[in-house]
Amino acid sequence: MRAFRAVIPLIITFVVVFLLNRPLGSLPALGSLLDPMHGAWANAEATDADFTNELSLPGLRGPAKVWFDEYLKPHVRASNDHDVYYIQGYIHAYFRLWQMDLQVRAAGGRVSEILGAKALEFDRMQRRKGMVYGAEQSLSAIEAEPHTKMMLDAYRDGVNAYIAQLDYEHYPLEYKLIGFKPERWDNIKTALLLKYMADDLTGYTEDIQLTLLRDALPADVFAQLYQERNYQSTPVIPSGTAHHPPLFSKPSVPEGPIWGHLDSADFDNRVENEGKGSNNWAVGPSRTRSGAAILCNDPHLGLNLPALWFEIQMQAPGLNVYGVSLPGAPGVIIGFTDSVSWGFTNNYRDVKDFYTIELIPGNNEKYLFGGRKATFNKRIEHIDIKGGTSYDDTVLYTVHGPVVYDRNFAGKEKIKRPLAMTWMAHRPSNELYAIYMMNRAANYDQFAEAIMSFHCPAQNIVYADKTGNIALWGQGQFINKWKDQGRYVMNGTENSTRWGAEIPTAQNPHVLNPAQGFVSSANQTVTDTTYPYWYNGYFYEFRAWRINEQLAAMNGAGVQDMFRLQQDTYSILAAKTLPVLLQYLSANNDKYIAGLRNWDYNLAAGSVPASVFQVWWSQLYKELWKDVAGKVALPLYPSHERTMELILQRSPLLGDLKERATTSYRLTLDSLAKLEKDKGDKWYQVKNTGIRHLAKLNGFSYEGLEVGGWGNTVNAVKGDHGPSWRMVVQMSANTEAYGIYPGGQSGNPGSKYYSSFIDKWAKGAYQKLLFLPGQGEPGAEELKYTWTLKHKQP
Amino acid sequence: MRFAACTILIAILSAGAAIMMPWWIIAVVAFAVTFVVNISSGKAFLSGFCGIALFWLVAILLADAANEHILSARMAKLFSLPHYGVFIVVNLLVGGLVGGLAGWSGAVLRNGFMKPQSQV
Repeated sequence: MRAFRAVIPLIITFVVVFLLNRPLGSLPALGSLLDPMHGAWANAEATDADFTNELSLPGLRGPAKVWFDEYLKPHVRASNDHDVYYIQGYIHAYFRLWQMDLQVRAAGGRVSEILGAKALEFDRMQRRKGMVYGAEQSLSAIEAEPHTKMMLDAYRDGVNAYIAQLDYEHYPLEYKLIGFKPERWDNIKTALLLKYMADDLTGYTEDIQLTLLRDALPADVFAQLYQERNYQSTPVIPSGTAHHPPLFSKPSVPEGPIWGHLDSADFDNRVENEGKGSNNWAVGPSRTRSGAAILCNDPHLGLNLPALWFEIQMQAPGLNVYGVSLPGAPGVIIGFTDSVSWGFTNNYRDVKDFYTIELIPGNNEKYLFGGRKATFNKRIEHIDIKGGTSYDDTVLYTVHGPVVYDRNFAGKEKIKRPLAMTWMAHRPSNELYAIYMMNRAANYDQFAEAIMSFHCPAQNIVYADKTGNIALWGQGQFINKWKDQGRYVMNGTENSTRWGAEIPTAQNPHVLNPAQGFVSSANQTVTDTTYPYWYNGYFYEFRAWRINEQLAAMNGAGVQDMFRLQQDTYSILAAKTLPVLLQYLSANNDKYIAGLRNWDYNLAAGSVPASVFQVWWSQLYKELWKDVAGKVALPLYPSHERTMELILQRSPLLGDLKERATTSYRLTLDSLAKLEKDKGDKWYQVKNTGIRHLAKLNGFSYEGLEVGGWGNTVNAVKGDHGPSWRMVVQMSANTEAYGIYPGGQSGNPGSKYYSSFIDKWAKGAYQKLLFLPGQGEPGAEELKYTWTLKHKQP
Repeated sequence: MRFAACTILIAILSAGAAIMMPWWIIAVVAFAVTFVVNISSGKAFLSGFCGIALFWLVAILLADAANEHILSARMAKLFSLPHYGVFIVVNLLVGGLVGGLAGWSGAVLRNGFMKPQSQV
């Protein structure tokens, strides 16, 4: 008895240690996490840490150096191509390993492995839309090309060299918090990351909504509300630019039942959606003070920590490039060499279409196609779930592509009807080759040649060089479509609805040195109506109108003018609609009305009228369209641009505009009263821009940044989305480049480099980018730390 | 005197062991020390608690000062604690609890199997 009593404390101790050694509910294993030697505290990086180091790495072929500046922006100098990508892989892993891992898990539908069954729906959607399938297709193309195979293998080996020497103590903090481990990097992961970007940029679709609306609305109303294109657009490729004579004739619309039809019985319930945007432009020598071309780009993407981008300069024989890279992929995505510079905006031509699939009752193996029974190709998607279980999802592949939705999977769109998807991201393509060649381009011809293999996601690629050339390409792989092909869900039983010939990428719309002296794109309609091929897309016009108007008025422009334009918060939507709408409120004398009447239409951070307008507009927009567009299971409101045009025309399609304007204004006053009490009624308080941690760990996020702008202004900073990188490059004899992104070079929340740039970014400041020459020991005093790398004998 | 020595011994030995070993080595050290050093079970708990908390406090303060509270402030926010100092205190309570329980276990087990000697 006495002996038994003597072991009771021991048992209690065992139980407590046991419980602290494993995750409990949403809490991580606290014992290991709080352990001051190896746990979270090991990630508390000394603020005066010295990053100078000597590294012997097994995969290196020659000596190399990396110089870091005070923000840990690396300048890599390697003696060969292999080593420069190997070192980039090592550096990406060193600073951003957890982010690389998580993004790729998300892309490939492997989140359940770390978060459990709550992520299963998400993972299934990723698998069913063919993310892994598409990545496998691309990887085969990448590995068939010797340059990109070398690039990818070297990058992988660099990442793995870093992972190989990691122990728990040195794991990124999030691994300790969420409770999983880094795993070996493979080439498929880079391919998945590229598909993650393709999905982000070309995944949006309105095919299903438009199908429902076309069938639900009178034809003339539908045509007026959902125009095929915006005819007032100032297109990416300026009007009047001569296009390539078409290689193919325009296909005629096929006979027969080419459309798929959906009705409310095909859905469970309703959802809403919103798009994205970016700006880029180049100003030619005729309009700049220095006589050198200036190139600008601010791609708008999800704003997260760790940031999507990582700044780097990479040098090897024949290579000297600076810009932002994607942790998880080799090369510089947006940037400049000592001769050329380039930037991206999303092109938004529709490259993702849906087909209704007719099943054969009692037969799970076949579907109807071309008057015959065709056999599904089955692909088993195996999803491991944290806790030891797993889920096998059988995805049926048709001639059109994977059946995304069916009775086994309704997705968040809640579609029960079998729909297959044809998507450009499923075709083998090698965008890495474009990156490889762009990073080495020395002139326009080489650059134009390089971007030919940039297929998906299609991008408006802006270009400027040291000889003063400026250019813009609406680049990607597109299909020679018949009118309306893929604008609506198509009938998958008909052979005539399948995609036709691929338009050679060299024939894509482009312009070199236009007479107007500048080029610009902001996700607007790509061409005027003289472009010989039919296309649809999800275009935005407000920012393009503003940018083109501003650039056309610019002479003797300098980099400061470019900064100002990137920060521009003038709302064309407000400037045009507010004078009309305010007429209906002439009798009002509420506390906001005077401010609204005297407002300068700038969505400035501290502006109260900006809040009033934006809240009012969103209420009015809902009020105007909820009846018309809300009739269908998956509603889609007419675009903001079209709504604006109809308001300016006082169109009868809007019903009683006065009634709707006054009703929505009343609702606005109610919301503002609430907002003022809760968090304040200044514009930045109302919109609450945050840079949030990728895994939504709130302690690691930034909220309530004091920034202006919205989707309808050039500086399109929304709640969690906006300019993910701002770059201005003046191509003078000595390249003068500026850039900033909302984040920091380190992905470690315990590092002072985790969020180094956020304040500056929010204030609209830029950092001068240090572009080192390719030769000689750099004497730049900005450089603080040096890595000396050499080959390690195995 | 024996209490103080015991506490310091636990702090030093656990710090040394923890460099190479997993976090739970603190329990083993506190247990072993109070099993060997003749001390009452109440004092053993206190000694284990204080010994481990002392080791953790020194280790944490060194890391936190060099880090200028960046990590501790973010961890505090993550666990909805008002201040990084509170996060540090929570750390010490967890470490101290484990050390205390292990210390108590060591003393009780020794007393259970050996003839009680005069205890301090």
